[in-house]
Amino acid sequence: MMPKVVRKFVIPGDVIAVGDYRSGSYIERRDNQYIALRVGLAEIGRDEVKLNPLSGPYIPHVDDQVIGKIIDITAFGWQVDINSPFFGYLPASFVFGKEFSPSTHDLSSKFKIGDLIAAKVEAFDRTRDPQLSIRGPGLGKIPKGEIVKMSPTKIPRLIGRKGYMIKMIATQTGCELKVGQNGIVVLTGTPEGIVKAANAIRMIEQEAHVADLAKKIQSYLSGGAS
Amino acid sequence: MEKRKLIDENGIRLDGRKWNELRPIRMEVGTLKNADGSAYIEFGKNKIVAAVYGPKEVHPKHEVLPDRALLRCRYHMAPFSVDERKNPAPSRREIEISKVIREALEPAIIMEDYPRTAIEVYVEVLQSDGGSRVAGITASSLALADAGINMRDLVVGCSSGIIDGQVVLDLNDIEDKEGSGDMPVAFMPNLNLITLLQVDGIYTKEQFKQAFELALEGGRKIYRMQREALISKFFGNTQPASAEEDEE
Amino acid sequence: MSAVKKNYVVETIRKAQMKELFMKSRRLDGRALDEFREIKIKTGLIEKANGSALVSLGNTQVMAGVKVSTGAPFPDTPNKGMLVVNAEVLPLASAYAEAGPPDENAIELARVVDRGVRESEMVELEKLCIVEGKLVYTIFVDVNILNVDGNLFDATSFAVVSALRTSKIPEYKAEDDKPKLTGEIIPLPVRKTPVSVTLARIDDILIVDPNAEEEAVMDARLTFTTDDDGNICAGQKGEPGTLTPLQVMQASDIAISKGKEIRKIIMEATG
Repeated sequence: MMPKVVRKFVIPGDVIAVGDYRSGSYIERRDNQYIALRVGLAEIGRDEVKLNPLSGPYIPHVDDQVIGKIIDITAFGWQVDINSPFFGYLPASFVFGKEFSPSTHDLSSKFKIGDLIAAKVEAFDRTRDPQLSIRGPGLGKIPKGEIVKMSPTKIPRLIGRKGYMIKMIATQTGCELKVGQNGIVVLTGTPEGIVKAANAIRMIEQEAHVADLAKKIQSYLSGGAS
Repeated sequence: MEKRKLIDENGIRLDGRKWNELRPIRMEVGTLKNADGSAYIEFGKNKIVAAVYGPKEVHPKHEVLPDRALLRCRYHMAPFSVDERKNPAPSRREIEISKVIREALEPAIIMEDYPRTAIEVYVEVLQSDGGSRVAGITASSLALADAGINMRDLVVGCSSGIIDGQVVLDLNDIEDKEGSGDMPVAFMPNLNLITLLQVDGIYTKEQFKQAFELALEGGRKIYRMQREALISKFFGNTQPASAEEDEE
Repeated sequence: MSAVKKNYVVETIRKAQMKELFMKSRRLDGRALDEFREIKIKTGLIEKANGSALVSLGNTQVMAGVKVSTGAPFPDTPNKGMLVVNAEVLPLASAYAEAGPPDENAIELARVVDRGVRESEMVELEKLCIVEGKLVYTIFVDVNILNVDGNLFDATSFAVVSALRTSKIPEYKAEDDKPKLTGEIIPLPVRKTPVSVTLARIDDILIVDPNAEEEAVMDARLTFTTDDDGNICAGQKGEPGTLTPLQVMQASDIAISKGKEIRKIIMEATG
């Protein structure tokens, strides 16, 4: 039986495919060649070429959930380190509402330097720092948990198709996983569960390009050898 | 000063190589954990680390470019990297080399994808032999790819030159000092575009052409090793599988 | 963001005009693609220097001065005189120049010009040894850029070569390894006339001797220095652009043939 998708390991400059395809990010078209711009796993389908990069910075996209650290408080908002070339900015008016005034509201009563927050990218066009908001379920200050970092480009692998991978880790370790698209994961649960979940994340980080990854993780979580 | 012969009557160079042979080369990607990307290269006796930080915030702020990244590059030789201790302060030579390395790497980077940010490339020569700038470029381009910065192609560097009146590939330290010409070249191997060219010494028109083409040929060999180093860091010995086997 | 832009920005319509003209093998200032601006060389203007030259290349204006003294040789060349080329873009040279120590551009400029002079073996440095390993002549060539309108590499090279070709130096002899003036003035021993030719690539067109406006839009720069026998003795690609291997070979051919023409001008001006 013919595989639906052909996969290829590529590095910058490699020709992924020749012909006429729809193409995604990290791919440049030169005449009828599709060139990889990153190290990654290329997928050549019937009419589409894709590249899943294996390293790279987090570039914000509107509606991404990110996890960030408050690093500065200004008169009108918070500066947030979101593990990206660009700092996030959370305007105070998004938190205190329209009646916010720098003279009556104390920003540090809400978030202090060093606090961790889950936030949503509200606006970003690369010409100004990305604007964050904390309106939405599960957003806001993260009170406790273990922070695990992974390459932002591998977050889709951690989540898995329809959340398969992350649900599996959560159920098998009893942990709650809060995932930022920016490569930050916060784990809460029992100490044993956290260690196990963190190991699973590390395995995904190292073997993101491996095809039968979910099986491997499954086997690790259910007590088999890692 | 009497000059020693650098090529013997059988066409063999002092270190045992033929005219078109490279020195032993070894590369490793991802050797420095703090950097966003890194690579280590041994090229003859050259031992060089390259590290990439960024894209990141630009400091000082007034250097920000609104429509593209700012590429910075520092080539530096460790004081113990050469026979006589080198003053650690950047020399004029290092400043020039930093500039030409930056200009050799920039064409490969899609600078417009990272406006208002800085990409910093550090090349530290721990031990120097001939050809440290081209080896540094080869390592830097690996470090950039490791950092996951969008690139059109890798950049590979290789030099050729003239010793005892003959065009040869890849000069070592002695050949560089006692030979009569050195030509470092860097290029994007898939695009076949030159990104660095420096010429030193006296070349007839024919010798120039020969040396230039020899450097490109040597560079293509180095590119194959460069590729392997990158593949090995990211994929180890695994093979890509077709999607049907993937249960993800 | 900074209010002051360090680089000269060319109007988009002017750039379009420039490129349109290239298709007809012409340039905005009326030159052919392989045509230099007028080269004017005056030597011996600075009495206190051992040699000097004022070169204008169109509106680019450069002054080189040679100062000679004695000193210890470089350890790796104990039997040769020392030659050092230095360049500085003076703050009066353009609205975009700044005072301060030489930046990477000035350092590259000086080093590329130095390489052309050194590698061509223009100056007979072995004749400038007084006591082997101990005492040699030291030749400092300092270049002041007075007005910037592109192609500093060639203007600087012409000025350095012209100044060296017309330098007269005091003769020294050694007494107990110490320098002593003999009272004689001798010409600096030179045997070659290296000529630097710089090309710019704009899109896929190569032009020689780019002016400031052309430099502001160029993709890559390539300099070759050639000697009297048509050999290439120094080369440098600059700017973050690329060149095809064919363009490199074409540029080297142009540099050799243009070099011949310019050598005549330099030799005529410097006797």
